Amino acid sequence: MDNFNMLMEGFATAAQPIYLLYALFGVFIGTAVGVLPGIGPAMTVALLMPITYSLEPTAAMIVFAGIYYGGMYGGSTTSILLNTPGESASIVTALEGNKMAKAGRGAAALATAAIGSFIAGTIATVLLTFLAPVIVDFAINLGPVDFVALMVVAFLTIGALLGGSILRGMASLVLGLFIGLIGVDDTTAQQRYTLGFPGLTDGIDVVLVAVGLFAVGEALYVAARMRKGPVEVMSMGSSSGNSAKWMSKDDWKRSWKPWLRGTFIGFPIGTVPAGGADVSTFLSYATERKLAKGKNKKQFGHGAIEGVAGPEAANNAAAAGVLVPLLTLGIPTTATAAMMLTAFQRYQIQPGPLLMETNGALVWALIASLYIGNLMLLILNLPLVGLWVKILQIPRPYLYSGILVFGALGAYSLNFATLDVVILLVIGILGFFMRQYGYPVAPMVVAMILGPMFEVQLRRGLQISQNDVSALVSTPFTWVVYGALILMFVASFFIKRAQKKMESAPLEQIEEPSK
Amino acid sequence: MQTAQKNLGEVLFALVFVVLGVAGVIFAGTIEVPDLEFGMGPRAFPYIVSTLMLVIGAGLVFQALRGQLGAAEDGEDIDAEASTDWITIGKIALFVVIHIVLIEPAGWPVAAAVLFTGASWSLGAKPLWRSIMISVILALVLQYLFGGLLGVSLPRGPLLEGVEFLNG
Amino acid sequence: MSEATTRPVIVLGYVPGALGDAALAAAVDECARRDAKLLVINSTRADRTVDVHYAFGPDMERLRTYLEAGGVEHEIRQFTSDQLASDDVLEAAEKADAELIVIGVRRRSPVGKMLMGSDAQRILLQAECNVLAVKA
Repeated sequence: MDNFNMLMEGFATAAQPIYLLYALFGVFIGTAVGVLPGIGPAMTVALLMPITYSLEPTAAMIVFAGIYYGGMYGGSTTSILLNTPGESASIVTALEGNKMAKAGRGAAALATAAIGSFIAGTIATVLLTFLAPVIVDFAINLGPVDFVALMVVAFLTIGALLGGSILRGMASLVLGLFIGLIGVDDTTAQQRYTLGFPGLTDGIDVVLVAVGLFAVGEALYVAARMRKGPVEVMSMGSSSGNSAKWMSKDDWKRSWKPWLRGTFIGFPIGTVPAGGADVSTFLSYATERKLAKGKNKKQFGHGAIEGVAGPEAANNAAAAGVLVPLLTLGIPTTATAAMMLTAFQRYQIQPGPLLMETNGALVWALIASLYIGNLMLLILNLPLVGLWVKILQIPRPYLYSGILVFGALGAYSLNFATLDVVILLVIGILGFFMRQYGYPVAPMVVAMILGPMFEVQLRRGLQISQNDVSALVSTPFTWVVYGALILMFVASFFIKRAQKKMESAPLEQIEEPSK
Repeated sequence: MQTAQKNLGEVLFALVFVVLGVAGVIFAGTIEVPDLEFGMGPRAFPYIVSTLMLVIGAGLVFQALRGQLGAAEDGEDIDAEASTDWITIGKIALFVVIHIVLIEPAGWPVAAAVLFTGASWSLGAKPLWRSIMISVILALVLQYLFGGLLGVSLPRGPLLEGVEFLNG
Repeated sequence: MSEATTRPVIVLGYVPGALGDAALAAAVDECARRDAKLLVINSTRADRTVDVHYAFGPDMERLRTYLEAGGVEHEIRQFTSDQLASDDVLEAAEKADAELIVIGVRRRSPVGKMLMGSDAQRILLQAECNVLAVKA
């Protein structure tokens, strides 16, 4: 099979020592930031964007993919060993995982999370491998109006579903579209919203916005209301601290089904815009809770291993799912995917249906590195738990000051203009207020990337149809997409309601951390 | 008192969207349209986005006035009970400004060290000398990594003029 | 301070772990010898997610059991503070007019010392009373 050969070539590339090192670097950094509270993979990729200046595309993308996968692993470590999750997708893991650690079964919880993540990540990457070429074959025939439909779905779901309030999500999204308009119009070369500033003709760089919102905004927000007080670290094994109890036979028996179920829940959800890891972990958790029987069911809320195995698998499968629309359609559905797309653009590579044709070697090396990265994560994760806990001992002032310095470096190195650092500060302050008043920041970043692409396709579509707006719903594909959109909103309404119910119920049962 | 203040803040922030929307509509009218353009011109999308912004902003103002406030974002390092510490924010913003002013005359490493020291001091790090030491090491390492190894042209500044391996 | 404290006071800067346990053992011995009261200080700056120098439930339990078994009069003060841990210990010693401060000291290379600074060193240099530095 042709794709198989391409994948093997990808492995041949990714297995070169230098790329293995890049992958190792990526997963290491990724796990570290996943462990740390306040820093996510999106922020990290944005902060590391300067490496695209000197690394070749394959190396940079391997690093970024490693960060992306690593972040998912790191989050689970924090949420199991600490009473506070490090990464939003891992909140569900904390429900059961932390309880397991309290009962002296921390090692088993970490193991089921890591192995589940590995299995799910690998299966999902296999699915990605075989699905991507099929989707590309299909997508290559899609016209501009079809892409308009896909992006409308992306906009609406991302704006409406990320964050608590629909109106705030949409506001953040539209703000991203607005900032994306600043600069010279690609089609007609006219200046838009530049107000005559020469510095604005190239537009505001999306990296600047991402770093401003994620790094500076977060640092300011933490500065305003810094949490006081450390949390207790659970020991890995039994309370006396001697031999850590690894997964027992029973644990394996109880874990493997949730792993698989989590994978097949997470992957499809990941491919849908705004599905993301949160929804998939929640759905997996709810499924496991429902399916558990007898004694095991009673354990839910007190450290049921299924409640760790399923969501962790779902989480990683969703992460791979997100790569499907990114690599086949060029549509980012999460903030991290948006940053990876930006990295492609910095190399003058435009992701889309043609990506696999024009840059096949790069894409397949990237996919191969995902397999390798997953394996590295499995091997690295458990032995290095002590190191990850050490990272959490970095005092917050140093941590956030470091983030600020990195952010300033990233901003300045865009054009070596201090004006960019000024814009960074302004956007950082904007990000602070958005957090303060409950506006999600991720839609803004995704919209900045998608907005210009959307406009191009929309104008192309209308040009072909000679300004006939009904052309936008003229193909069967658009009917399917808009139909699915309606279904998705109905479904999400119910999921959200159930999620709220669940989140408020068990959290109340969790007693206050001992002081 | 606290809620009243937050209420006002929310209304003002929502008004920013309205103002941006209005400005967007007005300035969209000033975008030049080439005669040959067929189909959607360069103005159409800005009009759509600005109008949407205006509508959503109006909705947000309405919500805020009715007292439907947004839930401040949660975070692992965030104390949900704490009230906003404007002084610390001001200090950090000030140090970013100082950083900006310093980059070109004093060089990036100096500016970065000042930013780190200032920010960590604002955030309550103690003792000060440790912040300074970390900042100097961090700034030099970053300068070496990005300027020296990766070839990002960060200005060394007069202080490190002769140090070749830090060359940006 | 308010009561007429006839017994002298010994202040122990406690951290969980082998270092703290060694210091604790020495402090209890000293108390017995001098017929002194033991004041245990364990504070955190609360500026990091994980502070290994802060004693949580199980550690506190062990500390209490040990003190009960040792049979010395004691008081445990655990709190969140804006100051460095060394300042907390020094302040407590000064207020209680302590006769002795007991701390655990780790062997460190000069470079490590320079990078990390040291609460122990601050206490050794700035204390007004005697300091017993216990090696672990």
